[in-house]
Amino acid sequence: MSKVRIAGGSVLALLLAFMPLLVNNYVLQIFLLTITYAILGLSFALTLKVGLPRFDVAAWWGVGAYTTAMLMLKTGMSFWLATLIGGAISVLLGWLVFSVAIPRGMMVFLLFGMVLVLAFQQLFGTIPFFGGWGGTEVTPQPTIGSFTFANKTELYYMGLFFLGVTVVVYRLLYNSKIGRAWNAVGSSVKLASSLGINVVRYRLANVLIGNFFIAIAGSYLVAYTLVAVPDTFSFANSVYVMMYVVVGGLTHVLVGPLIGAVVITFIPEYLRVAKQFEPIITAVAIILIIILLPYGFLGFYDRRVKPWFVRKGWQGTRPDRQSEKTAATLLEIGRD
Amino acid sequence: MPLLELSKVAKYFGKLQAVADLDLKVEAGEVRSLIGPNGAGKTTVFNLITGSLPPSSGSIVFNGEDITRLEPHVVAQKGIARSFQQTFLFTHLTALENVLIGFHMACRAGALREFLHTRSAKKVDDECRLKALEIIEFMGLSGAAHELAANLPHGHQRALGVSMALACNPTLLLLDEPVTGMNPTETAEMVERIRKIRGSGVTVILVEHDMRVVMDVSDQITVLSYGSKIAEGLPAEIRDNKDVIQAYLGKEEL
Repeated sequence: MSKVRIAGGSVLALLLAFMPLLVNNYVLQIFLLTITYAILGLSFALTLKVGLPRFDVAAWWGVGAYTTAMLMLKTGMSFWLATLIGGAISVLLGWLVFSVAIPRGMMVFLLFGMVLVLAFQQLFGTIPFFGGWGGTEVTPQPTIGSFTFANKTELYYMGLFFLGVTVVVYRLLYNSKIGRAWNAVGSSVKLASSLGINVVRYRLANVLIGNFFIAIAGSYLVAYTLVAVPDTFSFANSVYVMMYVVVGGLTHVLVGPLIGAVVITFIPEYLRVAKQFEPIITAVAIILIIILLPYGFLGFYDRRVKPWFVRKGWQGTRPDRQSEKTAATLLEIGRD
Repeated sequence: MPLLELSKVAKYFGKLQAVADLDLKVEAGEVRSLIGPNGAGKTTVFNLITGSLPPSSGSIVFNGEDITRLEPHVVAQKGIARSFQQTFLFTHLTALENVLIGFHMACRAGALREFLHTRSAKKVDDECRLKALEIIEFMGLSGAAHELAANLPHGHQRALGVSMALACNPTLLLLDEPVTGMNPTETAEMVERIRKIRGSGVTVILVEHDMRVVMDVSDQITVLSYGSKIAEGLPAEIRDNKDVIQAYLGKEEL
């Protein structure tokens, strides 16, 4: 690893570790949301890699949240066990649904995703057991032994833990044979098939892995909001996830969603002074970003900023070419 | 027993008969050319064999096993690899990386060990890399191994397509117009390589329009026209066959 990378990485790690000391509680609270969105975004990018844009992120987010909340409320189960079960149920339900959808191709998968989000939100809202449209009762705070995760700082570190696990797992996967197979599938299903890659099996594994971590993000949401409300798990929020991943940049499938999550949680916050105009301004800002920086922030960096440095003799990292290709393809589709 | 046997294979696209009652026997170790004017159904036959298209009727038996309704990736795992008429490559990867994906089937370190990046997984990975480089050298792509596939000249791209098929360690290799767009030197080199591939024990079925190549490298030739077999035999027999010349009239020179 180059010295620049080690230095940069260390600075970042230190910043993250000492964040609670550097910012006030209000900003820290925003970070909790950023972390949640980061996990969701990373998972969206994961599935996009195999050529499947998923519209159902909010659905499994809800499954994780509701499972964790209900288990804690009705059985007094520990947060951690409830989280694992939430993940497991998300994978199981996903397996039932996607075993049917994935063999039928990208369009069917996409439509299934949309239907799932709408259906799950309805389920959460109408079934009295879940507490109706007002949401669940207030859940107990997560504990380890006698230690309670009560204040923002403690929840922040919990979030970093979840995010860290997600990033590590995804990175290991991407750099493995599975990752190579995913690259092949995402690039050309026909070619990958002819080389003996079981496209359906690899896609299914990918989607289910995403399901697990999306559910974890839901459990984390419950950890700091102490409630699960149907409104959160909407189609709009699913699209929101897709949007900020694009904003962050598809060229780096691990870093892009992180940057996007930061941008997308902090812009509305700092625009709060505009009061009722805030959503409009945010929307315009996002539209401008997508028009001016079609490859997102990282894409802009890769194409304009880094070449400038390279001309001065700096090496730097390689962009994830697979994702660049996906980005290019999506833009082409968008143009049609 | 023939390595590959198609029995009464037919393929209809609605009312259009792309392949009609085809019987084809290919023996192990031979180089068989499949020729015929455009639209004769040659690529369709390839698609039927590899499972990209299901036959409307008939059966396909490979190595004594019925592969008629198997999916493409299963057929590939059974030992049949193909190159494509259009240049299908992973354009955003280097030539070497393209070939490595072909090794996907051959190199099994077990998914969990791969995931955890254990040392044994790394060793298998290194072996694959070496074998991939061997194939690259065999196909004359050594200079371009680390070039992006999209940046390669046409001839190299087609050679890369063949390399990827070779990486699957096939028993049967289907080559769909491998020398299209190549200059005479590249074409001659490809012919040599096809001979060497046959020499290593791989059976080859070749679809080609370049008659010199076909006459030069084939053990036997099967001629299709409008989906039906109109002739089959040794190159010398086919060259003088009146039906074959008729079918090609105005299209190709023999």
